[in-house]
Amino acid sequence: MTATELIKKVFFIEVLQGLALTFKHMVSHSVTRQYPTEKREPVPGARGLHALVRDSETGKEKCVGCGLCAAMCPSQCIHIYTSEGDDHKKVVDRYEIEVLRCVFCALCVEACPFGALALTDFFEYSGYTREEFYYKKERLLENWDKYMAGDKGREYFEKFWRPKAIDFRTPVTATSEERKSV
Amino acid sequence: MEDTHINSGNDNSRIAAKELMTLSMGPQHPATHGVLRLVLDLDGETVVKCTPYVGYLHRGVEKLAEHRNYMQILPLTDRLDYISSMSNNLGYCIAVEKLFGIEVPERTEYIRTIVAEMSRIANHLLWLATHALDVGAMTVFLYCFREREAILDLFERLCGARLTVTYPRIGGLKNDVDSQWLEDVYAFTGEFPMRVAQYETLINKNRIWLQRTRGIGVISAQEAINWGMSGPVLRGSGVPYDVRKVTRYGVYDKVKWEVCTGKNGDVYDRYRVRMDEFLQSNSIIRQCIEQIPQGPIMADAPKYTLPAKDKVLTDMEHLIHHFVLITKGPQTAPEGEMYVATEVPKGELGFFFVSDGTGKPYRMRVRSPSFVHVSALPRLCEGELVADIIANIGSIDIVLGECDR
Ligand code: SF4
Ligand code: SF4
Repeated sequence: MTATELIKKVFFIEVLQGLALTFKHMVSHSVTRQYPTEKREPVPGARGLHALVRDSETGKEKCVGCGLCAAMCPSQCIHIYTSEGDDHKKVVDRYEIEVLRCVFCALCVEACPFGALALTDFFEYSGYTREEFYYKKERLLENWDKYMAGDKGREYFEKFWRPKAIDFRTPVTATSEERKSV
Repeated sequence: MEDTHINSGNDNSRIAAKELMTLSMGPQHPATHGVLRLVLDLDGETVVKCTPYVGYLHRGVEKLAEHRNYMQILPLTDRLDYISSMSNNLGYCIAVEKLFGIEVPERTEYIRTIVAEMSRIANHLLWLATHALDVGAMTVFLYCFREREAILDLFERLCGARLTVTYPRIGGLKNDVDSQWLEDVYAFTGEFPMRVAQYETLINKNRIWLQRTRGIGVISAQEAINWGMSGPVLRGSGVPYDVRKVTRYGVYDKVKWEVCTGKNGDVYDRYRVRMDEFLQSNSIIRQCIEQIPQGPIMADAPKYTLPAKDKVLTDMEHLIHHFVLITKGPQTAPEGEMYVATEVPKGELGFFFVSDGTGKPYRMRVRSPSFVHVSALPRLCEGELVADIIANIGSIDIVLGECDR
């Protein structure tokens, strides 16, 4: 062992260097958030609680009950019951999501061809019973009013919930701008 | 191999003769990194026999996959290695693309490489945090989580989820990245090497750290290969094997980087390999952001990828494809078998498919690095002290979600 090594060993140099670093952090500003009191805004597009889009013209749900979302859902937690209404139109009687089984993958939103389902950025839901998490159609429509009111919903669809797959007729070499204009 | 360690032959008589103590460690033990249970036969403080019991987190992912179409399996792969779910998603997507014969666009390859390396950094940060905590360094734990948080925030801005991202898609990605996001990632990578230097100041030369890690859990290169180890554990023993170099997926051949290796194959060398990988990944991300081209992000494979939303309601072909893909899965999947491996932070993650030409895999098998590494745990622990088990578990970086599947 050389002299310098011995000095380093005896005087705990490497430990002191580490301590210097921790002491420096003691006086720098804290990065911890005190969660329930100090909340962080979810980023736009965060995948949270579901909402059924309310059609601004009819005031009812946009959903037509095609069942694609339920077919796509990997945890099979969407249940849709439909019946035949006046002039043979399909009527969505019940639309229910078991939120406790949902994994928030957003595949249902991608599957919906009508843009009738969305994930809001709300994530702090809790309750005492299981039934509270069995979301019915009315509750899902309320979610839309509550968390996606105004232009927010439309913007979200534009930005986050459109699979930007390629069009059959546009060549792959086209840039994204060109593809948008097609 | 047998004669090099104590576990050989029938040891019931041994237990009786030497009055060994049997200790059950886990499954609810904070230092076993999940729900791993080890049954230890101890002679004083020395481990005579170590038997891992796995399966506490078994969710039947492989069986579930047989009843889901290829698109629906994607969220299941998030839950294999939930610490770096991005890498697992990617591994799955790359495997399915190979099976289907899809070429993804160049921009997608770049973005995939960026997020895969970010996920590697995030994984190694969590590994360093918990490993250091197990061995006795509390401060590192807090510092690492600060940086991991930054990466998870970037992931959230990218795809809306922090942990279980489900970001890649078969043939492309969920959405494109914007330039602001890329700039923020670039800013992060500018600062990150300084952070790594901080962690190293804390533990690199610390005498307690050295004594707890040097010469512990030594495994030679040949033995590591025989055990089927991969990733940083194998490279810690000095074998320069990295799936990213060997099979060339992503854009790893277009950027400059090195395979980091150790020499002695002990806990300390495995730590060094991962610390070096921090900087390599960091530099890969920087180079990718500098080179990233413009272009589409979805492959031109209408039989396998969902059509653009605006087209679905205006065009009959698109609508039909949309319905068929979602309800039945791709109907033109080639028949046959395919094994594709990718390098995830923990080692070599392989997906093996048997396809019968329907929209669902006939069989999906996951070759997870954690499972292989857990099986080698007795080899690392037997003959060493009971306190070193913790250091060994930490050094092989296992996650039980992936091990039990
Ligand atoms: S987010 Fe995923 S798991 Fe939840 S309802 Fe939609 S498809 Fe099902
Ligand atoms: S896919 Fe859309 S329109 Fe069809 S049932 Fe689901 S929410 Fe309704």
